[in-house]
Amino acid sequence: MHDTKPEITISFGPCLPIAAMGLLLSGCVGRQSALAPAGHDAEQISNLFWVMTAGVSIIWALVLGTALAATLGLFKNPTRLTPNILIVGGGVVFPTVILGILLIFGLRLLPNWQSEPDRLQIHVHGEQWWWRVAYRAPDQIEPVISANEIHLPAGQAVEFVLTSADVIHSFWIPSIGGKLDMIPGRTTRLLLEATRPGVYRGVCAEYCGTSHAKMAFAVVVHEPKEFNAWLEDRTSDPNIGTDDPGRKIFLSSGCAACHRIRGLTEIGSVGPDLSHIGSRRTIGAGIAENTPKNLARWITDPAQMKPAVQMPAYRALPPEDIAAIARFLSNLN
Amino acid sequence: MTDHLQKEVKRETGEGTDLWRVILAPTIWAVHFLVCYVAAAIYCEKAGRMADLLPVRLIVGTATFIALAGLAAVFISLWKVRGLSSVNDDYNYAGNTPEERHRFLSHVALMLCVLSGVAILYAAFPALVLEVCR
Ligand code: HEC
Ligand SMILES: [Cu+2]
Repeated sequence: MHDTKPEITISFGPCLPIAAMGLLLSGCVGRQSALAPAGHDAEQISNLFWVMTAGVSIIWALVLGTALAATLGLFKNPTRLTPNILIVGGGVVFPTVILGILLIFGLRLLPNWQSEPDRLQIHVHGEQWWWRVAYRAPDQIEPVISANEIHLPAGQAVEFVLTSADVIHSFWIPSIGGKLDMIPGRTTRLLLEATRPGVYRGVCAEYCGTSHAKMAFAVVVHEPKEFNAWLEDRTSDPNIGTDDPGRKIFLSSGCAACHRIRGLTEIGSVGPDLSHIGSRRTIGAGIAENTPKNLARWITDPAQMKPAVQMPAYRALPPEDIAAIARFLSNLN
Repeated sequence: MTDHLQKEVKRETGEGTDLWRVILAPTIWAVHFLVCYVAAAIYCEKAGRMADLLPVRLIVGTATFIALAGLAAVFISLWKVRGLSSVNDDYNYAGNTPEERHRFLSHVALMLCVLSGVAILYAAFPALVLEVCR
């Protein structure tokens, strides 16, 4: 046996992806990032992420360092014992202990469901491709019905009751907490506590059909007082202009067969509740800014904005009528 | 080098390639897993979301104790094979004899035994932490 050192050249090409990742990570701020937490759970998830990233980096460096050292022949006198210690220590004891610690750590993060105080409950029902939302405060008898936007009080744990109408959806507000599946025929529950007031974005995180990627919602976190005022306001009917021309066209065009507007028409329940649509930030489940222009575009041909949508197009209506409906809806709050 | 490979080492560790011996430990693991999960599923379905998990935790504790005792027995019997052979080169399997096959399978079974032990402990951990069904 003769000892020749193998030729090894190290190229820095592989470092490029790491540099690129740095650029990508700078995109991890904003209203839909688990790494810019604004909620109790999101903070834990982000801490866990950083701890694990640091941990795996160290382990990665150790493993590759050892492999590199072995390839370069830096271990001078390996005895019979060294491999055994490496295999049993590094291959059995080390991962068992580390995974055990992670397991216990993870289990301890589970929410404490044992005490069940009276909490604000928000029932969210996933449907291809939008969200029904119903709020029920502890002392409230009639739930407040809404859609496609969720308002939360900061600093209070809120219980989400999640269901689905058709296929599996997944409810996720990355800035506030972890995600949970909505499963047809079952009820799942999620406890979330937002900590920082602001506007965030939630999404459906389970492929659910053609327009899955267009199933999102805005999340507005208020100071508790402000939230209570908001909820109180939603228990009453919206201001409906009685002589608004759009109101008549809305009713005569058959929109009411699918949409509810409190105090005006309460039979339709196929589509989202439009009672306070004028105050929502987005339309079409988070896909477009809520402006009269976008509303008109939506009503004219919703499928153009959201493929396979379950609402018919109203291309037959004269554009002035559509504009009138759009103005009418924009004023509902 | 070559004559080392051909030299057949005489050892008395036994013979036999009974596969049951190899999968006995993983079988204990599988049964333990089923007992824990099925017990929890049935109990919580009957008792409801807010029910105290104590009965399930006791079942899991007992099952874990029995499973680990079983594994210990398996481990000791396998370790004996190793103990008998480790005076010589325990990892020499080049002779292709029944004795070597037996020793090799015992070595595999021993490692599966350790793996099963770790898995059983992991499966039992949640019972230490969780207190109610939901
Ligand atoms: C056949 C039932 C149906 C009819 C009729 C209907 N819609 Fe819709 N509409 C829906 C459904 C379903 C959605 C949700 C689609 C989605 O986002 O996936 C929707 C969504 C909307 C939205 C967006 C709501 C939100 O929360 O962002 C608006 C605005 C709207 N419809 C207005 C109208 C108007 C105005 C009319 C009448 C000209 C009308 N719709 C007629 C079913 C209907
Ligand atoms: Cu979905």
